[in-house]
Amino acid sequence: MYLELQVGELAEPISGRRWGRDAIAREVALRTARLQRFGLARGDRVFLPFGNRLEFFAELLAIWRLGACAIPIDARLTAFEVTTLIGAASPRLAVVDDTTDASVVQAMQAASVPVILTSATGDIEVVAGASHLDDDALMLFTSGSTGAPKGVVHTHRSLRARWIALREHLGSADFARSLCMLPTHFGHGLICNCLFPWLSGQDLFITPPFRPDIIMRLGALLDTHRITFMSSVPSIWHMALKLSRPPKAGSLQRVHVGSAPLSAHLWEQIRGWTGTRQVCNAYGITETGSWVAGLADADVPAEDGLVGEAWGAVIKVLRISDTSLPLSPGAECAVGETGYVWLNTPALMKGYFQRDDLTTKAVVDGWFFTGDIGVLDAHGRLSLRGRERDEINKGGMKIYPSDIDAVVERFAQASDVCSFALDDELYGQIVGIAVVLTDQQDDTVRALHLWMRQHLAEPKMPSRWWSVPEIPRTSRGKINRDAVKAACIDKPSLDLVRLLAARTQ
Amino acid sequence: MSADQDQVLADLRQFLRTIQKPGKPVESLALDDPLVGSGLVDSMAMMQIVVYLEERYGIDFAASGFDPERLASMASIVALIEEART
Repeated sequence: MYLELQVGELAEPISGRRWGRDAIAREVALRTARLQRFGLARGDRVFLPFGNRLEFFAELLAIWRLGACAIPIDARLTAFEVTTLIGAASPRLAVVDDTTDASVVQAMQAASVPVILTSATGDIEVVAGASHLDDDALMLFTSGSTGAPKGVVHTHRSLRARWIALREHLGSADFARSLCMLPTHFGHGLICNCLFPWLSGQDLFITPPFRPDIIMRLGALLDTHRITFMSSVPSIWHMALKLSRPPKAGSLQRVHVGSAPLSAHLWEQIRGWTGTRQVCNAYGITETGSWVAGLADADVPAEDGLVGEAWGAVIKVLRISDTSLPLSPGAECAVGETGYVWLNTPALMKGYFQRDDLTTKAVVDGWFFTGDIGVLDAHGRLSLRGRERDEINKGGMKIYPSDIDAVVERFAQASDVCSFALDDELYGQIVGIAVVLTDQQDDTVRALHLWMRQHLAEPKMPSRWWSVPEIPRTSRGKINRDAVKAACIDKPSLDLVRLLAARTQ
Repeated sequence: MSADQDQVLADLRQFLRTIQKPGKPVESLALDDPLVGSGLVDSMAMMQIVVYLEERYGIDFAASGFDPERLASMASIVALIEEART
């Protein structure tokens, strides 16, 4: 079955590289032939530990043409984390680029995963169409890179459902020239910011992710390339509003902000800077194919937490959060009553890869439990009031405390640990950690820091550390991360800079 | 470098110590070494440097425009401060 949609052009505004439709067709055909030579077949999985460049999208379509599933992963993961993910996903192949860390390449080779350089295509072209609608298309790991990975699996059907719903609600004209500054290894950046416009035939402009020097020139970038649409996270806007001149060309038609709470103040600032009222707090979760709700009416005043109407989904706010029980109509909150947000959408993931236990805990009768707390108004608009998910939202990047704790727990001199979120003006949240060490020697802290650097991707490294005599627990023996944070926050944290500088002197 | 510039640099180093990543002493960096490229700070820390320059030296980037190269190293930041004061 030939599932490919009509693609737009691809451009890298920073490097100046650009592929038109004919070039894209050729690059995909070259890679299809090459992947075929490596024996890739329907049902196989391919790791892509690189992204945000033209070749990434050609690899993605080539993988799909052969009926295989693409697994984009964060290029910043350590070799340890990549090995953990390989153990969970058993990829048939990995495609890397020239920036992929040598230790990651070695880890894949050590796990007997053949590694291909994306630029090594050969000259033979093949056009194939082996994918079926219900084949696995995309797997995105959302947590567990240091222990038990949680891979969200989307089929071609669920992805299409998301894109069709978005086109019905938002049209495609605003997306004619879409800019993506977000990483291509997570749902917001890949499924919605990149693939929705591009596979709807619109042009996609892709930059390296989260690069301050690019954000600082955002206004000029928007003007030069007459960008009509962009999505981003609040931390990008904190920087852009302060350091970049506003665009002058008036090309922007629509702006989405997501992956982290958007304040009313920042929302109105973005409206003023961009020159368009059509700024939207896009609510999405990887499991639902990302954007699942947002504001259609540009004249609605910004409000803290306001999301808007559902896009290709039914939103219910229920009083219950227990996914082991069947849902009942009586559990539905009244208008204005705060409760737990549940979603029903044809774009819902197939499930967590080989983790039916987790899928069962998240999905009840087709309804997905988001872990968010919200309220619906009389117009059916959703506003978010908080989250119950155990995650740290660092500038839109979701970091799971359990991933950090799992690494520390393996350190011989650590007897207990709890990582938690700390408020931060720029990122929204950063990582704090309380650890119980068997001795308080500086060398032990240094050894733990080194251990963590070897096993954790840099963005997950805690910013502030506390060495504590014990981690407080509830009467049921559970860790209450907020309580641990409260116990630490007014006490001096470790002077890591001094400690680690002493080692290097 | 004048005594005044020495003080500016000392103050800058002290500030960088508060935002740097552990394990890379500020003292180990040459004046022209790239702050992000050397691993001293991550790229988002540039924003914190901007706030420092605004609050301590009254540099208004919104008015003066912004060139990321000016924040690339300690030497370029000291030059930027010097320029703003004259």
